[in-house]
Amino acid sequence: VVPGETALAFYKAKNPTDKPIIGISTYNVVPFEAGQYFNKIQCFCFEEQRLNPQEEVDMPVFFYIDPEFAEDPKMAKVDLITLSYTFFEAKEGQHLPLPGYQ
Amino acid sequence: MSTAMNFGAKNFKPRPPDKGAFPLDHFGECSASKERFMECLRRNDFQSGACRELSMAYLQCRMERQVPGGSPFPPAPPRRPLVFVGVQLMANEPLEKLGFKDLIDEKPEAKPQKS
Repeated sequence: VVPGETALAFYKAKNPTDKPIIGISTYNVVPFEAGQYFNKIQCFCFEEQRLNPQEEVDMPVFFYIDPEFAEDPKMAKVDLITLSYTFFEAKEGQHLPLPGYQ
Repeated sequence: MSTAMNFGAKNFKPRPPDKGAFPLDHFGECSASKERFMECLRRNDFQSGACRELSMAYLQCRMERQVPGGSPFPPAPPRRPLVFVGVQLMANEPLEKLGFKDLIDEKPEAKPQKS
């Protein structure tokens, strides 16, 4: 991926149970300092997503790395940025709180 | 307020996506497009730049498709009844604004439209 160029990535999620599951996901970026340069244009996160029993779906993320990344001396040795998602089961009426906000 | 479990580490503040969430493609309407994109990545050693045309095609596929109902789970209060209106798999957005301007400028003649 080139900083400044939009890119598409796919994750896959499966509901292995026999009941529908409503989930919400949040994400994490490592190394931590690279997270500020990671910009999501559109993804499947932060909103409830329903997976029916045994359903498997592709989950796209459309993003770009801020071009300032290439100017940051602290990022000079960073050539791998890892984006991970964690799915939580949503409870009815629950809102996923953004960490750091109370 | 932090949960104070990570001493000294800064809080990671997830940011919502600029253009919101993709509805799930429950029926796999754009799976073929996605597969072509993934095959391209595999052929090109996962160099994202080599497959931008196919990623653009995937997003176009999403924009052309509608799914009924939008979110199946009524949004948070006040609750509204589910209404089956078409919701696109991706809101229409000029491709130039999604970082594909250079690809579009290269091809002044329009790609063949799907009939």
